[in-house]
Amino acid sequence: MKTYSREISVALTLGGLLLGLAIFAPSFYQAQPLLSLAAREAPTLVAACGMALVILCRQIDISIGAQFSVCSVCAGLLAGAHWPFPLVLSASIAMGASLGALNGSLVAGLGLPSIVVTLATMVTWREGLRWLRQGTWVDLPEGSQWFGLRQSAGQWTLIILALTVLVLLAWAMKHLAAGRFIYAVGSDAEAARLAGIRPRRITFAVFVFAGALVGLAAMMNLAQSPQVDPNSGTGLELKTIAAVVVGGVAISGGRGNLWGVFAGLLLLACLGPALTHLHVQAYWEKAIQGSVILLAVVADGGHRRNPGSP
Amino acid sequence: MAGTDGTQVLHENHQAMTIFGKAICFRHESILLLILAAEWLFFAAAGRNFTTLDNTFNILRHSVEIGLLALAMTAVVLTGGIDLSVGSLLGLCAVLFGTFWRDAHLPVWAAMLLTLGAGAAAGGLNGTLIAWLRLPPLIVTLGTYSLFRGLAEAMTHGVDTFTDFPASFLFLGQERWLGLPAQAPIFMCFAGAIWLLVHRTTFGRSLRAIGFAPEGARYAGIPVRSRLAAVYLLAGLTAAMAAIIYTARLGQAKADAGVGYELFAITGVVLGGVSIFGGVGSVHGTLLGVAAIAVLNNGLAHVRQPREVAGMLTGLLLLLALSGSELLKRLATRRGRCQPSPATTKKA
Repeated sequence: MKTYSREISVALTLGGLLLGLAIFAPSFYQAQPLLSLAAREAPTLVAACGMALVILCRQIDISIGAQFSVCSVCAGLLAGAHWPFPLVLSASIAMGASLGALNGSLVAGLGLPSIVVTLATMVTWREGLRWLRQGTWVDLPEGSQWFGLRQSAGQWTLIILALTVLVLLAWAMKHLAAGRFIYAVGSDAEAARLAGIRPRRITFAVFVFAGALVGLAAMMNLAQSPQVDPNSGTGLELKTIAAVVVGGVAISGGRGNLWGVFAGLLLLACLGPALTHLHVQAYWEKAIQGSVILLAVVADGGHRRNPGSP
Repeated sequence: MAGTDGTQVLHENHQAMTIFGKAICFRHESILLLILAAEWLFFAAAGRNFTTLDNTFNILRHSVEIGLLALAMTAVVLTGGIDLSVGSLLGLCAVLFGTFWRDAHLPVWAAMLLTLGAGAAAGGLNGTLIAWLRLPPLIVTLGTYSLFRGLAEAMTHGVDTFTDFPASFLFLGQERWLGLPAQAPIFMCFAGAIWLLVHRTTFGRSLRAIGFAPEGARYAGIPVRSRLAAVYLLAGLTAAMAAIIYTARLGQAKADAGVGYELFAITGVVLGGVSIFGGVGSVHGTLLGVAAIAVLNNGLAHVRQPREVAGMLTGLLLLLALSGSELLKRLATRRGRCQPSPATTKKA
């Protein structure tokens, strides 16, 4: 029970928020807006899972927003050229994985600090994309929205897909050797190496995997609209890092799990609509999100073993 | 190989190492200076009116705010920390300044003082959370990044813009003083003060010590917590100063002032050779890093390239500088593997 106290407290906060909404603003619980909200956040959940793996491995990736935009635009162009859907999906995932591989090779291969490497790649991809595309939106072919299904069916597909990714990853992190290796490398890379794990390979693989998840998330976002916004990934890195941190994953690596991330993401995602339903002006959303992050990290203070590490 | 020859070779190798090691000590700043000179020559040849004094002042005028943030960020990064909130705090301070002046009907100088106080208080919040509660700087400032920008948006409802500042105030950002852009002397004084603080005082030395090893610094009797808090407070104060100059330069204050400035500042600092892990770096390196980015931006505008190209090249330059210096370091350690040179291990 003590091991999961952090996750439980996030879940309780979320429960409190939902309960408060049920009492003071029952209008929050309408099926259609909730379904849209969940579908909108589904890609973010997939990307946040990738970010959680990276942070558990004691790294950080602030380029995922730019990766997301690049994958979206590439996938949109391919879909516009009438490639079949499975090919577009694999191309988007491969694109994300290769962008992640570049980060991974610089971080794991050259031993450069991940925050600086991904800052540089973020700026490069974002500005490069703006330069090449001049901010134009990509039109998708008719009928590709919601995978060609009805809207609610498409939304449910996205939600189920995101939850499947979450459950599979949460299981893998607990029960597969690869998952335990990530925790081991994140806790202490040198100890992991002495135990026969290759920390560099794990780090590289985590960046590639996170990139692939971002590619998948971009595809899931693509399915929701008839056009591709080239700036759709803006701020995704901060959103996912916030969800991961609120969810109780230690920024110093090796502690936390994906269920906490799920609860953290739900909490942050519900805040905005909740404010509207509680008649608080929407301008306060960012300030309240910031306060939630600060509260979470202050609450986290007592748990940490390793103070002061960046 | 005979024994004497062997030691001879080793000795020569060691000497070469020391020279190489010294070259590495001056490596980053000198490479940056070369890059800067190459940029300057290229744009002087390719662009029109690039080398004019007016344009030089223009570059200076437009890089003052990011330069100020980068200087304060240097002190933060030297301690092994980071401050992601400076750009948002710039926005909040700009809005606060506008509110103090327009809505509270305070004279400009009083509004300025109050804004500086607010900036210091906001920096103090970061400092308290990081130094006294010992929370990770990356996450604390990520939270305040969101909080400060959110407060600015909430205060202005996202749309309110403060304009019509008096001409005497706009002088600070738009006019010239003794031939220089009016904000340049402030920037130069501040840069000089930070250089002295970091390189010529025990305070500055203690920042590096904290960056190298916080525990070691504590055992050496350095008041780690108050030093850390002071550094983040300085960053907040600087952000407020940058906000005032920004408002004076643009003649307006909005909630979205300084979006993304924290990344520009960090880019300048890292390009300038300050290690993100703390302990290594210099103020002049940061100034060169900021200058390299500013000249690149301005020069590319002169050869009619869109702004995006400048952004992309900044990113690539950062990647090249990082991997280049890491590869050089590896080359040095590989050469010196038979006899590790203390000069490089200490500095690198």
